[in-house]
This record gives sequence, structure tokens and C-alpha cells, in this order.
Amino acid sequence: MNNPNPVHPPKWPVRFLRFFVKKEYLEEIEGDMEELFQDHVEQFSFRKARRMYTWEILKLFRPILMRNLAFMSNLTYQGMFKNYFKVSLRGLLKNPTNSFINIFGLAAAIGICVFAYAFARWTYSTDQFHELKNEVFLVTFFADREGTPQQYGTTPRPLGEMLKNDLAHVKKVCRVEDGNVVVKYEDNVFHERVRYTDPEFLEMFTFPLKWGTTASLKDVNSIILSEPLSIKYFGDQNPVGLTMLVKFDDKRSKAFKITGVAKEFPEALTIRFDFLINFDNLRTSGPDYDFHDWTAFVNATFIQIDDTANIRTVAGAMAKYKKLQHAAVKEEWAISSFAFEPLATLHQRSEDIHDDISRSSQTNYATINWLIGISLLLLALASFNYINIATATAAKRLKEIGVRKSIGATRGIVIFQFLSENVVITFFALIVGVILAMTIFIPGFEGLWDFNMDFRLSDPKLWIYLVVVLLFTSVASGLYPSIYISKFQVVGILKGTVRFGQKNPITKILLCVQLTLSCIFMVLTVMFTQNTNYLAKRSWGYNPHDAMYTLLPDRASFDKLAALMEQDPDVLKVSGSVQHVGKKNLVTVLDFGDREYEVDELAVDANYFETMQLQLLQGRTFEDHEGSDRQSVVINELMAKNIGWTQPVGQVFRIDSSQFEVIGVVKDFHNHSFVTPMRSTMFRVANKDNYRYLSLRAKEGTELETYKQLQASWARLFPETPFDGGYQEDIWGGYFETIKIYSLVWRTFSCMAIILAGLGLYGLLTLNVAGRTKEFSIRKVLGAGLKNLAANISNQYMVLFGISLAIGAPLGYIGAKLMLSSSYAYHMPFGISGVVIAIIILIVLFLLTLSTQITKVMKFNPVEGLKVE
Amino acid sequence: MKKTKLGEFEELVLLTVAALQEDAYGVEIKRELEQRLKEKLSVGSIQSALKRMEGKGFLTSAFGEATQKRGGKRKRIYSATAYAHRVLSEMKDIRVGLWSSIPTLAHDLKTI
Repeated sequence: MNNPNPVHPPKWPVRFLRFFVKKEYLEEIEGDMEELFQDHVEQFSFRKARRMYTWEILKLFRPILMRNLAFMSNLTYQGMFKNYFKVSLRGLLKNPTNSFINIFGLAAAIGICVFAYAFARWTYSTDQFHELKNEVFLVTFFADREGTPQQYGTTPRPLGEMLKNDLAHVKKVCRVEDGNVVVKYEDNVFHERVRYTDPEFLEMFTFPLKWGTTASLKDVNSIILSEPLSIKYFGDQNPVGLTMLVKFDDKRSKAFKITGVAKEFPEALTIRFDFLINFDNLRTSGPDYDFHDWTAFVNATFIQIDDTANIRTVAGAMAKYKKLQHAAVKEEWAISSFAFEPLATLHQRSEDIHDDISRSSQTNYATINWLIGISLLLLALASFNYINIATATAAKRLKEIGVRKSIGATRGIVIFQFLSENVVITFFALIVGVILAMTIFIPGFEGLWDFNMDFRLSDPKLWIYLVVVLLFTSVASGLYPSIYISKFQVVGILKGTVRFGQKNPITKILLCVQLTLSCIFMVLTVMFTQNTNYLAKRSWGYNPHDAMYTLLPDRASFDKLAALMEQDPDVLKVSGSVQHVGKKNLVTVLDFGDREYEVDELAVDANYFETMQLQLLQGRTFEDHEGSDRQSVVINELMAKNIGWTQPVGQVFRIDSSQFEVIGVVKDFHNHSFVTPMRSTMFRVANKDNYRYLSLRAKEGTELETYKQLQASWARLFPETPFDGGYQEDIWGGYFETIKIYSLVWRTFSCMAIILAGLGLYGLLTLNVAGRTKEFSIRKVLGAGLKNLAANISNQYMVLFGISLAIGAPLGYIGAKLMLSSSYAYHMPFGISGVVIAIIILIVLFLLTLSTQITKVMKFNPVEGLKVE
Repeated sequence: MKKTKLGEFEELVLLTVAALQEDAYGVEIKRELEQRLKEKLSVGSIQSALKRMEGKGFLTSAFGEATQKRGGKRKRIYSATAYAHRVLSEMKDIRVGLWSSIPTLAHDLKTI
């Protein structure tokens, strides 16, 4: 037992132990702990033994072993808290209006806080459910593009297999490639995306199966479905064992046996699949998929490392593959280095990685910041209400404070009392807030975007968050009133010499800030709404109404479908094209000898301009699609302007080696949504064999029937191929939905801000009027009319309101201008109409609030007011 | 069984105390039980079980020797009271009785 170098347990835990353990147990337990510690030192490292010691001490903190701590036995704090609680409840019930304003305001703000939490949790939990998220890495590489190093998420094709064979630390590898196919089961024929992958995919990622076996993916003839796809084709039935036909293109198809259906995916994920088939099927799907081609890429390669620490060793071994790649490609495509991105952080980093498999949610991370900002703002607004009302009602509590102080309460204790009262109020608000979040905010937002945040009350972190919100809000809103109220001297209070009116500068400042903020919110909202309406009406530069399109598998299908549709009397024009406005375009480099110039290109036929109603400004459009116009192009205004042609028609330039001549100019049109600026665009004559789109224009008002007719004709001609077309107007439908949602969310926040500020104003007004009952009674007796009384009530608020508008309106205007011009390439012309509308709304609300009190004063009987003593 | 109010874990600790005789002090009880249960136990759980049972009259205790390893602090040696022995044997009888009735109750009990 004699230890030459005695080691001692850490000091602080021992002190803590001595502090809380019953005296009669102390010797025994301290001895036990010491003995155990010495044992641990022999077994483990010194540091681990210390850690275990501290942990054990914490676990000793149990009621049965604790002594009655001295300060607890001296004072019965329980009674005191009981009294505080009773006083707070009575206070709440005594003044229901104020309590409602306080609790409702705080609840709404807390509701938004809970919503912000739910959203942040959902975003940060994306792809975090994979058990091996720290061991599985995406292989990425850096390459210089346009002078800056950029990270790419794709991988040279042969690399995956080589890594698996060469490196001992790489346990598993899976490559992922995606393809568009048509899947057919009995009468169900749909366009689908299949994921070609190695069988290890299901071992490296955590996607448990509902039916079937994971290992079946080793068989090249197996296919595994996700749950929604299984339901789409087979309903609730277990499809394992059935056969589906997958058509890779017109000539190649293959029957697959269903060997598995995945369980429902977690809500927050970006790496997912519809269909999984073995990677080797790439040999079947296309004739020339070369697995050993260093110049070509595979969509993604994931590796699984035996130990996370070994990723450095793996990274060190990559130089060899860099050389192989350099030998195969041109200099500008050379890879400068490889890097590995763990699955755990892939989603957060995906914004910086090009073409990586994990979808980026950068906007979600930005939204989190916005939500935090808005939550804090609303909390501040609600707290201001509390502070204002609490300081204004302080007079009613002066006697209580005087009595408490004279029987021995220190200022600290009074502050503590008011803060604990605040915790009670905030606690009620918290309950209402959580209910609001769960019943309105979260389901509402989920409904707007059609997703599920998977919010659960059972999340332990949520409770920690709620406690933090509770304490933070109570202290933030309660600290100033409690300090303010507790500062009065006992003698003054009890003598009745303490007088304080409603002239508290802090109250005025806070009210002013509230009104200013709601003014800013209002201006932003009105201008956003105006912009949304403007965008919905903005001209596309062509006429998307009564126009529709469909994607074609080949040229023969165009001829058949066009022949059929032209017979329809409602169809005005039918045209074929390789690309289509709003759907697809090519990017071509023009050669002017001394410089190169990049433009969007659409290959179309002669009817296209009439079909889409693109407006011709100069020259002519194509006349002949077979012969003479082959070397002609029609350009848009912007292209002429960008190149600097004043007389564009007749200009010539080269593409590769052939020469082209400009024969016409069309008005600028939006090929992309209004978020992206318009680009220089030109039209060429399409080769008939390449037609991929059929577009047509229907007579006005016959859009619906014609579209049905188009679908029916398609189904008759090509029963094996799914119809893939739509209304031209709907191409950006989703985009308009998005803008509408933004504007709705803004309106909600703005409404809340205004309601909060309005409630605050209302609360203060009520108190002010109630406190001046006698004054108003005397005024009325002496003959004061509506004008006089109204002026008396509203004067001080008018000034505040005026100041708030003067500050808030310009700030809101500048803010809206900045936000709109940064997020929309095309937005409404800025004017002050939005500001005027916002100010009018605010003034109306302000006057309504004022009028409630003015009518109250007008109606009451001055005799009653004078009787009150 | 109800009136004796002896929890499952308490019963295990009590049996260990009875088995260890003069060696029955905190760390030794913990060591012995950990070995038998093949799981880690905290000092807190053992101590609170001991103190609870002392309060219920199952255990008595007295200070024992002090060693250097314990930083000069004395051990507290626990011993089971006669009452405890009686309760323990009662519980054992109940269990044995139940066990002996199992085959007649369940005919196709496959895995136990």
C-alpha cells in the first residue's frame, strides 16, 4: 500500500463532496472514493481516474446522502416562494387586459422562437441519420477553373475501383451514377431516375429495407425501390419478386426483379434514391460507358475508412492517381488535388462543392439567421410591452414594496421577487407559445412548402432551449422594471411623498422603438407585396398564354404528333425545336476573329416565332427550314446591344468554322425566371432530325381542351412512353408560388410586429387614461368637448408616432430597395407609393387604438370619476 | 413481500453484505457486485441502497480499520441484521415456490 509518489484525487470534487454529504457519512464515503481512485489509477491513466472520480462524486449527489444545508434549514424559502407565486397570480387576474397583452405578446414571440428552433434543428439534422456518417467520405477534387481553385464532387471513373484495390484503409467503396429511364409495370409507365450504384451503398448509408434483402443488390438483375415509388406502382402490396421493365432508351431495355423496398426515409435528407440498380448495369444502359476512362467522371464516389483518423493516410496516397489523371487529360482539366468530405458535414459544405450528390440548402442556413433575427426582434417588441406596462403600473405596487422593505426585504430581494414573478408570467406565455408554434406556425409553414420538419416535443434539446428562452425572456423583460421599482425608499413610500407620473423617458423611447420597427416591417411588407404583384404581371417578352409544349423521344414522333394536332381546328400553329424557351438552351461561343463571345442558343423551326409570339423588331424570321436559312440567325435586342451593333441585320460572325449572318432581331424575352438577368440569345434553324420539343399555340380560350387533346393524341400514338409536357405558363409556376410564399411569410411577421406594437400602445394608453380619470372628469365638468379631450389624450403619443414614422419609413424604404435589388434581377420600379400605403395603414391603426380610449373618456360620467378617492 | 419493502437492487446489496461478512464495506461490496453482475455500478447507487436499508433496519454498521490507501479514513463495515436474514430467506422461499410451479403452469415454454 505504500506508494512512493502519492497521487491525489482532484480537489474541487472533494470539496464539493465535503460540502453536501451528511457529516456522519463523510469519512466513510470519502475513504471509499479515495480507495476507488487509487484502484483506478493503477488500472487506467491518471487523467481517466480523475475524470471517473469527478463523475462518481456527481453521482453521489442524492437526497439520501445530502445533509440539510445550513441556509436551507434556517429560512423557509418555500413560504416566500409561495407568497410570490400567489402575488403574481393575483396581479395577473386583477388586470386581465394587461395580463393578456403581456402573455399573448410574449407567447407569440416565443412561438416564433420555437418555430425557429424547429427549422434550425431540421436543417442541421439533414443527412445526420447515417450511422457511419463519420467514416464515410465523398471523394472530391480541386481544379483550377478560370483562375480560381474550385471543388468538385464528381470523381474520375476508374478511381473508385482503384482505391478499393490499392488502399488497405479503404474498407468499402461505392460509386453512384444517375440516369433517366422509363419504368414500366403493367399499365403504369413513368419517366423515372434510377441510381446505378455498387452493392455497398446500402451498407455505407443507413437505409433499412422494409421488405427484401440488402445483399440482393449484388445481383445485376435486381432493383430496389424507395417506399413512395413502391406505393406509386404497387400500392400497399409487397412487390418483392415482381418484375419491372426499365427502358434505358429506345433500343435498350431490361427486366429487373424487385428484391427490396426501403423503409420510409427520414424527413431531413438530401442523398436519397427512387430506384437502385447495380452499377454494372451501366454496361447495358449505354453502349459506350467506359469504366476505365480517366477523362470521364462518375457522379459520386464514396469511400468508407476503417478508422476516421486514417483519412490522412488515404489523402497522402492520392498523388499517384493525380499523375494518372494528368497523363490522360488536357492541361486545363488537370486535377490539382483530391479531398475527402465526411458525410457528417457534406450537407453543410455542399454549397461550395460543384455537382455534388448532396443538394445544397444554403438558403435554409440563411433563413435560420433571418429567423433568429426576427425571433429576437419580436421578443424585444414583446418585452418592451412588458417593461412599459410594468413601469406604468409600478405606482399600484408601491405600498406592497414599502411593507416588504420595512419588514426586512433588501433591494436585492425585491428585485428577485419581481424577476420570479416574471418567470411565472413568461412560463404561462411559454406554454401558450409552444401551443401556438405546434398548432399554427409549424404546420402553417410546413403546409406552405409541403414538407415535414419532424418536430417532436420529446426532443431533449428542445427542453433545454425552452428553459433558456424562459430565463432569458424573464430577465430581459423583467430586469429594468424590477430595478426601477425596487429603488424607492421605504420612508418616502409609506409617507406618501413618492410621486411619479407617466413621464418616464425610458417608456417613451421603448414605445418609439416599437412603432419604428413596426413601421419598417410594414413598409417592407407592402413593397414586397407590390413587387410580387408586379412580377406576376411582368411581360415575358413573348406570350406564354394559350401555348403548350411537349418533350419528344425522336423525330418520327414529331411528324406523327404534329400531323395529328394540325387537324385540330383549335390549334393555330405547331412548331418543332431542339431547345425550348424556358426549358432548355445551348450555350454557344461566337468567334469574331479578335474576340470570343458567349450566347444562349435555341435551334427552332420557321413556325416557332409565331407559335411563341416572339416579337420581331427588325429584318425577318426564318422562311425555309431546309435550305437557304441554314447559315442565318435571329438574335435578341440584348445581343445586338452587348456586341455593339447599331445595324445588326446583315452582320456576320463565325461559330467554329462556318459563317453565320444575322437576318432578324426579336424583342428581349425571359428565357429564365426573373431572378436571373436576361442573356444574349440567338435562334438558329433546327435540323429536323434533332427535334426534341413540339410546341403549339391554341386559339384563345381553348387552352384546356387543346391540352387535353394533346395528351390524348400522345396516349394514342405512344402508349409505351409517358407524356412529358405542360402549359408554357406553368414552366415558372413553382417560382411564382415561391414568391407568393415569401410575401405571405413577410406579411405574417409584419402583422405580428404591428399587433405587438399596437397592443403595447393600447396598454399604455389605457393606463394613462385610467390614471388621469380625475383630471378628465374635471375637464368634462368644466365643459371640455371631444376636441379638447382627444388632444389631451393623444398629444404625447402623436409626437412619438410622428418621430417613429419619420425614422421608420425611410429605413424601411432603403431596406426594401436593398433586399429587392439583391434578390431579383428584374423588380418593380421603386416609388414611394409603397411607403405611403404603409403609412396610411399605420395611421389608421393608430387612430383606431386612440379612438377606443377617447370614446371611453367621452362616455363616462364625470360624477363617477370625481367620486373615486 | 410488500411490507418488507426490499427492492431488487437492495436485495442484491443485502445478500452481498451477508456474504462478505467482515469485509462488507462500500468499495468491497461494489467490487463484488460488479464482478457478479458484470456491469459497472456507481458508488452513489451502492451508498444510497446501504443508507436506505440501514434506515429500514436491515443493516447495522460500525467503523472499521483505516488504511493509507483510503487516505487515513476509516471503513464502515456493514452487517445484516437477524430481521434481514429472515426477510431474505422468506423471499428465497417465495421464489423457490414460484420456480417449482413453472413447468405445471407453462407447457410449451421454449427458452428459459
